[in-house]
Amino acid sequence: MTTANHSSPDNHPPDELLIGYSAGSLPLSQALCISAHLEHCNTCQRKLQRLNLVGSALMQQLQPSPTSARLKSSILDQLDNLIEEQTPPPSGTDSSVPRCLRQFIRGGYHNLNWKRVSKDISRIELCRDNNGARVELLKIRPGGAVATHTHLGDEYTVVLEGSFSDEKGLYQRGDFLRRDHNDRHTPVATHDRECICLAVSEGPIQLTGFFSRLLNPFIRRTHAG
Amino acid sequence: MPLENRINSDPNAVRNTYHTPMSTTVKKPAGGGESASLGVCMRRVAKHRDKDAFAKLFDHYAPQLRAYSLAHEPGAGLVADELVQEVMIRVWLKAGKYNAGLSSLNTWIFTLARNCRIDHLRRNKRYVTTIDPADIFNDIEDENPGPFQQAQISRIEENIHAGLKELPRGQAEVLTKVYLEGKSHRQASVELELPLGTVKSRVRLALKKLEVLLTR
Ligand SMILES: [Zn+2]
Repeated sequence: MTTANHSSPDNHPPDELLIGYSAGSLPLSQALCISAHLEHCNTCQRKLQRLNLVGSALMQQLQPSPTSARLKSSILDQLDNLIEEQTPPPSGTDSSVPRCLRQFIRGGYHNLNWKRVSKDISRIELCRDNNGARVELLKIRPGGAVATHTHLGDEYTVVLEGSFSDEKGLYQRGDFLRRDHNDRHTPVATHDRECICLAVSEGPIQLTGFFSRLLNPFIRRTHAG
Repeated sequence: MPLENRINSDPNAVRNTYHTPMSTTVKKPAGGGESASLGVCMRRVAKHRDKDAFAKLFDHYAPQLRAYSLAHEPGAGLVADELVQEVMIRVWLKAGKYNAGLSSLNTWIFTLARNCRIDHLRRNKRYVTTIDPADIFNDIEDENPGPFQQAQISRIEENIHAGLKELPRGQAEVLTKVYLEGKSHRQASVELELPLGTVKSRVRLALKKLEVLLTR
């Protein structure tokens, strides 16, 4: 695994998200993005370890709440009958797929049922989160561009394969980006290979390019559905 | 905050450690001896499936776990007992996976408790998503080679324990909301009737004081 040491601070999740991940309060779709990034990033792993220490220290400072003797004996009585569920890794899992995504991606990225949405882009929806966020993979062909767009909600992106750049910089494998409604951006994949990203979007995106403006009603509808 | 000030303001500080200014083993978090013996219990559970050792772990951690659950859902005694059961059973089943080089036992238990809480919220339909939290949280924390050495971890841990005692009340309050009650910054700002920006900056200030986030 590569580490994201080449990255500027902007290519890591903001502290607020790591804190939410550590505390367990982050929507699961955002936690997926953090987890996919963590596999590549020692810096954030280290920060997370420190944040977990804070949670642990706070838990120890709570006024302990006594448990009943019955609870204790009922748990002790169960021990002999417990067998750990061994979930073997699904066969044919591609080790380049982050572990947190293997629940959705059984084989490699190429066995997925990609849907072409433009000349340069294919997508596949993996799932939805409770807050309505859409979790999907985007595939941009080498040198391909995503129509300039702004976001009505936040969008989180982690680069899984290849690399792309936008107005703010270059993003490589493992890099994390958050864009909100103030950001207007045009991602372009680098020319050497296709780029695959995990993308979580919490509101419809707004295309601002001339041609793509025509597509807007369509996009809004798919998000609402 | 300079380390020196913190040491001086702590009446319980062990004075004879002053000659090593880098040493932060000023004060052990509640009972250093106790945590060492819990570590022994943990090893006995992992290696020998020792139920007496497990019972000792239960006596120490179950009341903490119960309190953690009640902080999130006050008054929900049954939910709290369920969390105790879930976590302690995972401790028994996953004992062999616990790696003292990766995290302290306390922190491992905290992450198990947090994961059980997330799972509980999901199963009770407050989460209807198909995303499985086990795949998000468990692997990373169990299997990745820990970037920190054990000695570093205990040093940071002791810093945090000492620092928490000196946190201004407003900062301690937001940390409690975020970590123990599991609130987002936004929820914390509503409940504490503080602007969102204030909540965010208090969390950051607190974590900087605990030397968990580095000042840029
Ligand atoms: Zn990072």
